[in-house]
Amino acid sequence: MTQYIIRRLLWLIPVLFFISVVTFALLRAVPGGPFDREKPMPPEVRANLEHYYGLDKPLPQQYLDWVGRIVLHFDFGPSYSSRSRTVNDIFAAHLPVSAQLGVLAILLALLIGLPLGILAALKQNTIWDYLGMGIAVFGVSVPNIVLAPLLILIFALTLGWLPVAGWGTPEKMIMPVVALGMRESAIIARLTRASMLQVIREDYIRTARAKGLAERVVMVRHALKNAFIPVATVLGPMFAALTTGTFVVERIFAIPGLGKFFVTSITNRDYPVVMGTILLYAVFLVLANLAVDITYAFLDPRIRYK
Amino acid sequence: MLRDKRLFLVVAVLLTVAMVVSACGPKGPKLAHEINLNLGTEPPTLDPALATDTTSVEVDESLFLGLTDFDDETMEVIPELATEWKVSDDGLVWTFTMRKDAVWVHYDPATKKFTKKRPVTAHDVEYGVKRTLNPETASDYAYVLYIIKNAEAFNTGEITDPAEVGVKALDDWTVQFTLEQPAGYFGGIAGMWVARPMPKEPIEQFGEKWTEPGNIWSNGPFALDTWEHENRLVLVKNPHWYNAKNVSLQRINYVMVVEASTAFAMYENGELDVCGVPTTEIDRVKADPVLSKEYYEGPYLCTYYLGFDTTEPPVDNKLVRQALSYAVDRQKLVDTVLKGGQKPAKTFACPGIFGTPAEDPNFVGISYDPEKAKQLLADAGYPNGEGFPEMTYLFNTSQGHQRIAEFIQQGWKEVLGINVVLANQEWKVYLETVETDPPAVWRMGWCADYPDENNWVLENFHSTKGSNRIKWSNPEFDKACEEAAATSDPEKRKELYAKAEKILCVDEAAIIPVYYYTRVVCNKPYVQRTYAALGNEHYDKWKVLAH
Amino acid sequence: MTVQERAALRLQERPRREASLWRDAWRRLVRNRAAVLGLVVVALLIAVAITAPYIAPAHYAAGDAADEHTVPSWLAAVLPGNVAAYAKINNKFLLGSDFLGRDLLSRIIYGTRVSLPVGFMGALTALIIGLVYGCISGYYGGRIDDIMMRIVDILYAFPTMLLIILLMAFFKTSFGGTPVPGTPAYTFNQINKAVDSILGLRGGGMLFIFMGIGLTAWMGMARLARGQILSVKEKEFIEASRMIGASDMRIILRHIFPNIIGPCVVAETLAIPGYINYEVFLSFIGLGVDPPTPSWGNLISEGAQALRSYPHLVIFPALALSITMFAFNFLGDGLRDALDPRMRGTS
Repeated sequence: MTQYIIRRLLWLIPVLFFISVVTFALLRAVPGGPFDREKPMPPEVRANLEHYYGLDKPLPQQYLDWVGRIVLHFDFGPSYSSRSRTVNDIFAAHLPVSAQLGVLAILLALLIGLPLGILAALKQNTIWDYLGMGIAVFGVSVPNIVLAPLLILIFALTLGWLPVAGWGTPEKMIMPVVALGMRESAIIARLTRASMLQVIREDYIRTARAKGLAERVVMVRHALKNAFIPVATVLGPMFAALTTGTFVVERIFAIPGLGKFFVTSITNRDYPVVMGTILLYAVFLVLANLAVDITYAFLDPRIRYK
Repeated sequence: MLRDKRLFLVVAVLLTVAMVVSACGPKGPKLAHEINLNLGTEPPTLDPALATDTTSVEVDESLFLGLTDFDDETMEVIPELATEWKVSDDGLVWTFTMRKDAVWVHYDPATKKFTKKRPVTAHDVEYGVKRTLNPETASDYAYVLYIIKNAEAFNTGEITDPAEVGVKALDDWTVQFTLEQPAGYFGGIAGMWVARPMPKEPIEQFGEKWTEPGNIWSNGPFALDTWEHENRLVLVKNPHWYNAKNVSLQRINYVMVVEASTAFAMYENGELDVCGVPTTEIDRVKADPVLSKEYYEGPYLCTYYLGFDTTEPPVDNKLVRQALSYAVDRQKLVDTVLKGGQKPAKTFACPGIFGTPAEDPNFVGISYDPEKAKQLLADAGYPNGEGFPEMTYLFNTSQGHQRIAEFIQQGWKEVLGINVVLANQEWKVYLETVETDPPAVWRMGWCADYPDENNWVLENFHSTKGSNRIKWSNPEFDKACEEAAATSDPEKRKELYAKAEKILCVDEAAIIPVYYYTRVVCNKPYVQRTYAALGNEHYDKWKVLAH
Repeated sequence: MTVQERAALRLQERPRREASLWRDAWRRLVRNRAAVLGLVVVALLIAVAITAPYIAPAHYAAGDAADEHTVPSWLAAVLPGNVAAYAKINNKFLLGSDFLGRDLLSRIIYGTRVSLPVGFMGALTALIIGLVYGCISGYYGGRIDDIMMRIVDILYAFPTMLLIILLMAFFKTSFGGTPVPGTPAYTFNQINKAVDSILGLRGGGMLFIFMGIGLTAWMGMARLARGQILSVKEKEFIEASRMIGASDMRIILRHIFPNIIGPCVVAETLAIPGYINYEVFLSFIGLGVDPPTPSWGNLISEGAQALRSYPHLVIFPALALSITMFAFNFLGDGLRDALDPRMRGTS
């Protein structure tokens, strides 16, 4: 098991190398640079800036310098558009916010999605099933761009229960978490239902029932545990995507998370920030998937890693 | 007309409120000492030497004093750190005498304690200017100071000795600037953020992090308390500022909400005290019994214009350009799309800029005239738009610019019968495209750095001294701009600039001025505020009544 | 002819059974009411997209700014708030008009010409690239499989949205505008124009959105296809065909494809709503189609900002989008049940 984990962690190295090279190349292939301004600056000033950030060096050299700084000093470089801050500062300030939002949203999604999916599966083809799945499809059908302003209109402006936007206090977290969690809960509900339906037709469930175990015990101890495996599979990427920031929800609710950097760093041509965020996401994804695989081993004794 | 009435209404309401409240007690109106504002985005920097954008400058205006300042209403240059200044007869040497009671303060957010460090002196001005110009600082905006002798050479690395730059502290309270050529507008430049005195000690101690709370020294009416990046920023009153006794606000709470509709919802929900009004909400606000009383429209020193690539057919033909300009129904654009009381533009520089003929009744500019537009296009060889080649109109990605582009495209199709392709690019790419390979038509805005025509016509469209993105060269225009810059007689300058504007916007129609910006905001009734025409608000003059 | 060879030939007749399998699937599909509803809605949407110029009351770019932001009177009657105080209320437009006085209904109708192709082309691109990639990887196995799947793993580690934004920025700037004839950029530019004109749109830049979505969406399909192949490749009839000397190409196309295409199509049908949503997101960040071409994405993201003042601008496009999402979800679920009777009812 330990060996397996180490091998998976080593796998990170080629992943990070490859995606950083591709991103670096793509970024530099796109026209526009970090120092294009509305009021054009004299070429000499631009040269000063480019020299200051080492952008006047040959491209391979720039890439190697960047890698070198990360490996030697764990320094992801400066941010061009926020000059008093480094990429490390940005991660330190905004990753916790996004992570908090993401984890809460996933918890909410599980809290809604799992029971809904189980209920729908157990009462298959009844009104509960249709209702549950109707809600689930609705959840994926309404885009956040509409859902978020709608929540603001209803709960802040009309009912006056919650503040419109911001971050830091529990009541400010409610709407963004709901907006983000709805969609994920829909995905989880559908998956849970599908895998529950499959599991309860398996032989061992029939055996358990035949043994005369109470229905509740069969469901909880045998069916649920196994039905959770496919759900766990999507939790990995879902975790990585949500905890590293979500642009739309963070923007509409004015949340100081990492999501905006995935978009604005590209439009600002803030190269170190783009490279940093893309690496961060990759690390999160690989680690989350690893965590999921390890969870498998606990959930399903048939799975053994070598 | 409508605009003035509203303004009158606001003033009347404020006066009434003030009178009613002051009648309650002998001590005058009861005041609250906090205000909640939206900064819009994270300020990219608080270092005056590095600031290039309105957000950073807005905060810097409260933190750092300049030698001079602009009057909120008249936009005249007024003293700030300088008490007076003298200009030599040849107009080359400017000597500023400084007040002695301005001090650097350090504020510790943890203990909430202010520490007086030392007086602000002429040496800080010299240090500040030279720091901005130092190539190692890599300041984007250093070129604004190129009027100072040897500034350009030092900034571009041609000379390395900072002592040769034309700025010098003669003693603690006197600083002298030597210029490359006479410039009547230098009084304004001397107060710009890139020329402000800066504190050497924290800069040397903390490097790029000197502007973080706890590190920073400042000298303005407010000091930095909190800066949670991308989230909020808090300023507190500086009790050691020389005019502190007249400052009412104790605390300015800024949030950084990018989404305009979210910010306005926060205003309606009472989470913000002042907020810009998104275009889509203006009609509703004006019709709302409460919000309409809080609504304000006022001038803002910017112009929206369309540029041409004057070397590219078909817009290399001035008749085509004139036809396009006559076919833009600016008033209808304002009434239906913009809604914020903007004014149709006929000149490049907007009203309020020294030298602009924008409000001169004798200046006949181009305004909407479909018949004339059709005639001009026919004269150019495209009757009813027949045979007119496909042409691209480029704008940078933004809903506002898109709406204007769609309106103008529709109008050109209707009046002239021509098809124009709209394309948008994100900002950085857009700037590079317009700079290197501009399409036939593109949009741009220009806002005053200092309120003088020189900042407009010469710096933008002079064939060699300006950025000249329209790839245009007109010797007569160039000559008028140059002469006006070197002349000190105001009447003569006005005359020359009127001539330049006429060539640019009418005779040659090298650009299409579209509209002059306005500022559209809502203020809660308990906010007593000033409006700075150049945009940098003076919060030391604001008051918030108890509510 | 040996016994084995005869058996192999018999097994080769499987495609005929395939036909009846599809017929059975169809029969099962039409018995599923939700799926039929989904199918009907999707068919209707396609019909609307094709006949847009004939059924739309106006062209999507036509309008007079004097008619801006009109709210239909039937809607004004049911809306909360005081719309009548500031908006023009009349019956000139069935669903109201936008800021330039353009008919919203017409824009939603023309919007199907953007949103549906984005969904279908996204699915098609993913299906083609993913199937080919997955088949090669799964069929040949061993070292090739290892390398190809590792590449997919690596690509998976890119944040999809960031990659799309980067690609879109790259495509738009490199291939947009007026590139020099003869260069690859020029070719792409011309293809893009051709795509726009096939769709009957005046300048939209649809190709770049197709490419951006397609290039980031195929990895999941590649994994699925590979998994499917692994499960059928060891079956007897494949072994048999190989024995009688069928070429790899023939085995893949004739025997493997028909057996794995079902689940892959189902997966992509269920993915279509996701691709349509990508377009909404791209519009939100300003990387959608070029104006004045309408798409549901730009209608919704523009409308959402006017939610308080002019709710009609967001209600109707969002409704259109939601109905489409429902339809594709129902259809996808129904297709899966129909193609795999064992899975019947398991969502």
